[in-house]
Amino acid sequence: MPPKPHRVLLDRVSGYADEAAAYMRRRRAARRPFARLYYAGGRAEDHAADSAAGGELFVAAGRLIEVAGRGR
Amino acid sequence: MADEQTSRAVSRRDAEGALAYLTEMSPDLRGAAILGRDGEVLAGSGEPGRWRDDAAALFEIADRAGGEPVEQIHVGAEQGEVFALRHAGLAAVAVSERFALASLTFFDMRTMLRDLAGETSQPTFVGPEHAKGPQRRGGGG
Repeated sequence: MPPKPHRVLLDRVSGYADEAAAYMRRRRAARRPFARLYYAGGRAEDHAADSAAGGELFVAAGRLIEVAGRGR
Repeated sequence: MADEQTSRAVSRRDAEGALAYLTEMSPDLRGAAILGRDGEVLAGSGEPGRWRDDAAALFEIADRAGGEPVEQIHVGAEQGEVFALRHAGLAAVAVSERFALASLTFFDMRTMLRDLAGETSQPTFVGPEHAKGPQRRGGGG
């Protein structure tokens, strides 16, 4: 007996939701601190936290995070 | 600044309105500021005066790191994420929770600066449209 049409739709939606949740979990686990700069023309540069420029960028960003506080 | 400067004088009132709208429609945002062409703070959350030096320092370090003026900066730290953007002689800096959607955040910030610079025919962030409330993202980030 074929599944009811609404059941097919529900299964599909919950499948997408499961995939999205898994993607977000992987993203949170895998993501490391980063500093990325973008220039005119589309050029982009990553600076590792242990590089000289990266370290300075993280310190400056940290000050801005302090200024913003904990938010709303 | 990395790009051409706007010839339009941006009022603090417009900047404050635009910033309030950005804050309202971005639930992940902790704080933000809009800076004018001389680096002065046109609008800022919390203690506006504190944004000036720290934003200038961030841009200065970024310019030096790449050997040319930077257009956008995105730093993701454990404590939060920092977005900084220059456009038309103006600059916007925003701090959000971690894992904010970077493309949307930059898009909103750029749109805000374009509106303030008078580059858009139907501004989203500047003018009486604020009264309608958030039109994008549905307030859900």
